[in-house]
Amino acid sequence: MKKYWQITKNTWDETLTYRTSFIVYRLRELLQLVATYFLWLFVVPAHGSFLGYTQAMMLTYVIGSAFVSDIVFSSRTSAIAGEINEGVLNNFLVRPLSYLRYYFARDLGDKAMNVTFSLIELSLIVIIFHIPFYLQHNLVTILLFFITTFLAMVLNFFISVLISLIGFWSNEGWGPRFIFYSVIGFLSGGMFPLDILPRPIFTIFQLLPFSSLSYFPVKIYLGQFDGVFLLRGEVTLVVWIAIMYVVTMKVWNKGLHAYTAQGI
Amino acid sequence: MHILHRVFNMKKYILLWLQVTGQLTQIAFASRLGVVLFTLGKIIRFVSFIIFLFILISQTKSLAGYSFWQVMMFFLTFNFIDIIAQFLWRDVYRFRSYIVSGSFDMTLTKPISPLLRSLFGGSDVLDLITLFPLIAFMIYAVGQLGRVTFVEVLLYVVLLLNGLLIAMSLHIFVLSLGIVTTEVDNAIWFFRELTQLGRIPLKVYPNPISFTFTFILPVAALITIPTEALLGVISVRGVIIAVVFSTVLLGLSLKAWRGALKKYASASS
Repeated sequence: MKKYWQITKNTWDETLTYRTSFIVYRLRELLQLVATYFLWLFVVPAHGSFLGYTQAMMLTYVIGSAFVSDIVFSSRTSAIAGEINEGVLNNFLVRPLSYLRYYFARDLGDKAMNVTFSLIELSLIVIIFHIPFYLQHNLVTILLFFITTFLAMVLNFFISVLISLIGFWSNEGWGPRFIFYSVIGFLSGGMFPLDILPRPIFTIFQLLPFSSLSYFPVKIYLGQFDGVFLLRGEVTLVVWIAIMYVVTMKVWNKGLHAYTAQGI
Repeated sequence: MHILHRVFNMKKYILLWLQVTGQLTQIAFASRLGVVLFTLGKIIRFVSFIIFLFILISQTKSLAGYSFWQVMMFFLTFNFIDIIAQFLWRDVYRFRSYIVSGSFDMTLTKPISPLLRSLFGGSDVLDLITLFPLIAFMIYAVGQLGRVTFVEVLLYVVLLLNGLLIAMSLHIFVLSLGIVTTEVDNAIWFFRELTQLGRIPLKVYPNPISFTFTFILPVAALITIPTEALLGVISVRGVIIAVVFSTVLLGLSLKAWRGALKKYASASS
């Protein structure tokens, strides 16, 4: 456990080493948020609602979604495919550590840095633009939000690792990853709350793993849930984690048998 | 004699570009699955944003006074600039590795302009796959706008070319930054995020923000002003802003490139 904690700390330090790169990356994230925020500010009337969302609720959704995305989607696992292709994986296989746990620890370091910056940026935005941010006061709801966000983070980890494991059989791991990034903003509810979609499409989206990554945790924060919604959402999330874990481990083991360290 | 020399030089660069682009095309199509997935990803992203716009405008009936098809023109213009920029200046994305590995030294020793080589050093034909359907869609969208005059279309095309000049200048800035700091990847992505702000009319943003995107950052000059020309709502001020931006940015970017080259220390080789 201690060695993985050290890996997490190393990743934090590594990010601080490439400060310019990280700051420009954060600026990009901020630009995206500004664009989405002002679009919704313009569309949702100050004293009315848009498809069931008041302005405060919609703007909180946008800010909350940006925050959850920073926790859930920031990841170093995209490097795995390259390490397999180039044979760098060898260095890890001979060491007394689990490669997947190593990457989970790296992800935690990366997320810690992103969340720290995200909290500062979002707080500044809320203060500067006088955003009518909906502050959740119910402690149980806040606890549920953090538990769900953590589970979403675990689910994203397995999905992302699984995509990278294509590297065992192909040099084109970037292709599926590109598709993943192309759909994720839309399907996860990063662009807008999914429940403004027509009911049949929304029902299908709820069954996919992606809605658990952003839409579901933010809805919990907003307190817009009942027992059925919560139970169905949490069960869907846990089932997808279980499926992704089993598939990832099977693919990892199969991949290791196919691995020839050809990049060396 | 001077003109002949320039024509010869131009021919040399076009031949070089064709040669390198041909080789890169062969490399790209060696991985056919990659081509399919890349194209599919782009289509999904494109369609999902259209769905988003459709949901939005079906509820509000218009966005900042623009109808669905008018807003679509902003989005399509953004895509056009984005695809052309990626196609023509794809080598900028690889520039960091040339600097870090020291292979930029090889570019400097060759009898070609290092700037043209770094900018146009091989285009990505994968970016073109989506361009032709996009142009067809743009023509269809123009048909949905109602009455569009020849002058409006002409001004749109001219301002689009002006926008591409701005995009090229920004790519030169990124190259210059790459030489001085080796930071290229995030800078180029920052440029792309910036252009994404123009996917919707800038009127959506409140005044300090829209002022920044119009007069300080060239979002309006890249996408909004050309689209407004097509929609027949452009002002003379808009045209002046676009032209001033392209002239100033081109001049400054070339200056930045020359300054960066002087600082290049070939430290990695």
